[in-house]
Amino acid sequence: MYSLQQYLKSTTQKVVIAALISVSTFFFATPLLAAESAEVEEGSPAPDFIRTIADYKLPDVEVTRKDDKKLKFIKELDDGRPVIMNFIFASCSAICPMLSHVFSQVQTKLAKDSQKVHLMSISIDPESDTPTILSEYAKKFGAGSDWDFYTGTTEASLAIQKAFNAFRGDKMNHSSVIFMRAAPGKSWVRLEGFVSPDVAIREYRSLR
Amino acid sequence: MEGILPSGKPLKGKRANSVEVEGAAAACETCHRRSGMGSLEGNIVVTPITGRFLFANENNRPIALVDPRAPKNVSRAHSPYTQASLAKAIRKGINVGNRLLSPLMPHYDLSNAEVKAVMAYLRQLSADLSPGVGEDTLHFATVVTPGVDPKKQEAMLGMMQKAFTQRNASQEDYSGRMRMPIDLLPRTLRNWQLTVWELKGAPDTWAGQLAEKYRKEPVFAVISGLSNTTWQPVHAFCQQEKIPCMLPSTTLPATETAFYSLYYSRGVALEADVLAKYLRDQGKNAPHRIVQVYRDDEVGRTAAKALTEALRDSGIQVESRVLSGQDEPDLNVAMKDIANEDGLMLWLRPADLSAVSKIMPTLPATRTFASGFLEEENYASMPKAWQPQIRIVYPYELGEKRQKNIVALKKWLQSWNLPLVDETFQSEVFFNLLFLTDLSSQMLDNLYRDYMVERAEDMLSLGSNVSAYPHLSSARGQRFASKGAYIARFAENGKLVAETNWIVP
Repeated sequence: MYSLQQYLKSTTQKVVIAALISVSTFFFATPLLAAESAEVEEGSPAPDFIRTIADYKLPDVEVTRKDDKKLKFIKELDDGRPVIMNFIFASCSAICPMLSHVFSQVQTKLAKDSQKVHLMSISIDPESDTPTILSEYAKKFGAGSDWDFYTGTTEASLAIQKAFNAFRGDKMNHSSVIFMRAAPGKSWVRLEGFVSPDVAIREYRSLR
Repeated sequence: MEGILPSGKPLKGKRANSVEVEGAAAACETCHRRSGMGSLEGNIVVTPITGRFLFANENNRPIALVDPRAPKNVSRAHSPYTQASLAKAIRKGINVGNRLLSPLMPHYDLSNAEVKAVMAYLRQLSADLSPGVGEDTLHFATVVTPGVDPKKQEAMLGMMQKAFTQRNASQEDYSGRMRMPIDLLPRTLRNWQLTVWELKGAPDTWAGQLAEKYRKEPVFAVISGLSNTTWQPVHAFCQQEKIPCMLPSTTLPATETAFYSLYYSRGVALEADVLAKYLRDQGKNAPHRIVQVYRDDEVGRTAAKALTEALRDSGIQVESRVLSGQDEPDLNVAMKDIANEDGLMLWLRPADLSAVSKIMPTLPATRTFASGFLEEENYASMPKAWQPQIRIVYPYELGEKRQKNIVALKKWLQSWNLPLVDETFQSEVFFNLLFLTDLSSQMLDNLYRDYMVERAEDMLSLGSNVSAYPHLSSARGQRFASKGAYIARFAENGKLVAETNWIVP
């Protein structure tokens, strides 16, 4: 279990805490989120997430897209389009479906933009998530041509998770996090926690 | 469970981050699981929602460990839920203590009648401990099918009995031993008892034998097991009786997945898929034809069929031949007309390979493969003249990493004076025993079979890997823990080394 201090210490890249929303709830009471958040007025919406700006050193690894094409991960990220990225696995029952629902709605809401966004979902259970399984998963969430899914070797998936400081020792320890970036060379915006599609879009629109 | 309302319409929910969920994705079971005992994902704790947790008073509410990585993290005290407070939790995401539930918990617009129905369902869910749980005893079985190597059988049973004795002794003796904090949580002390279900005769009679044994002594779960032929009747029995059937050692697991059975791998079918992928990936350099030789038994037929299917439409022609015996005419029939440029897959056990080598001192095809599962680690008996050429489809770890994984097994065997007969096999049994210890610690007194399977799904990759496999992993719905194999070759010192990366078909 990460405390905020440990988290900051372990984060080797430059991290600017841009906004801390309910930090104490998120970091110190996360295991008890269900029961232990602050007492509230009925209906008060308080989706918790942490927004940070970060630069990540990207690993030079090969990934396999859901159409079974083997590709350089960096090239996929740097194809010129803005990127919104997350980590998922197909057998995950709670966090990943939620993240994928957010992506699905983001996809729909950004569909009319002239500047196309590249949505990328990276499997953190790559041996189980074969291209076939990822294709079925993509279909379930209505993924279109701008939303790609990637698998690959365990080593490649680990390297990517570690590069984005998203590796927590095992797939069962993963957290809900979305990354976005305006263009190659720009910093990443990291949104960790519960992000609504509207917030994700707002963040995307304000990318610089 | 399917997320269908009594009206027949799909259940709809909305999360606090305004993500809507519908149907199966909105069903309680998706996060709280079949047992209702909840789950853990990342740092999101999904709490138990069975009647025993929601509606009971403090005095008779059980304790559940909601995060096995943090032993202090147990289910919390709260006033018993009533229909009104449950409705508020379901509709508005506010719990009985007037606190917000996790944003992950959707809000559902359920009617009073529907909330009442949910309550009734939760009251009976995981209400009674499963069969096999006695006052002071927890019953387990292991299964041995006919025709297995008696040495392996003896090794497995020796290990299991020793581990059970060790475990029972350690739970009575609280002093002088380092204990995990998890062991200090209150629970009923139950001795583990192992019964051995030794099956006899033809596989189609096993179902009857299993039912009879189970009637005499109901067990909570079937742990490990040994078979070198079909496992299907045991698989079907476990599914029918809803008994967790944990990680048996078999080269032939059932092909269809079922909730109650977890396996180390898909056995020879996995090897066939790995070989097919390896050959396909060679593109133009792949052989035009592969000859596969197998015994006409369950294992041989399954392997041959799997390879034929995996190479369909690959441009590689598959020719399947049965080896009917070890006499020269039989061997000649199986091995005739194999060209140097063909591929050759020998789905044969060591004795058969040895017989083949008598008529074929050198291998007829440059690219010849044998099955790691069928070899059962008997590489010393591989004909010397074959060694530079033959490749093994090898489903375990190799080299230093392997040694690192199994060092705990070796030390444990030594300290209890148990023999090392078959490293990969015994590492499976050992991993399973440690895993069972972990699982049972985490379950506390919540001895429900469904919960055990769910814990196993979630926790398999979290413990230390003391098996001969590179890594073991599972998740909801996954039933095969190891998912690939190497193509390995013999080094000059006669040891196997990986020639390829870990191949996952």
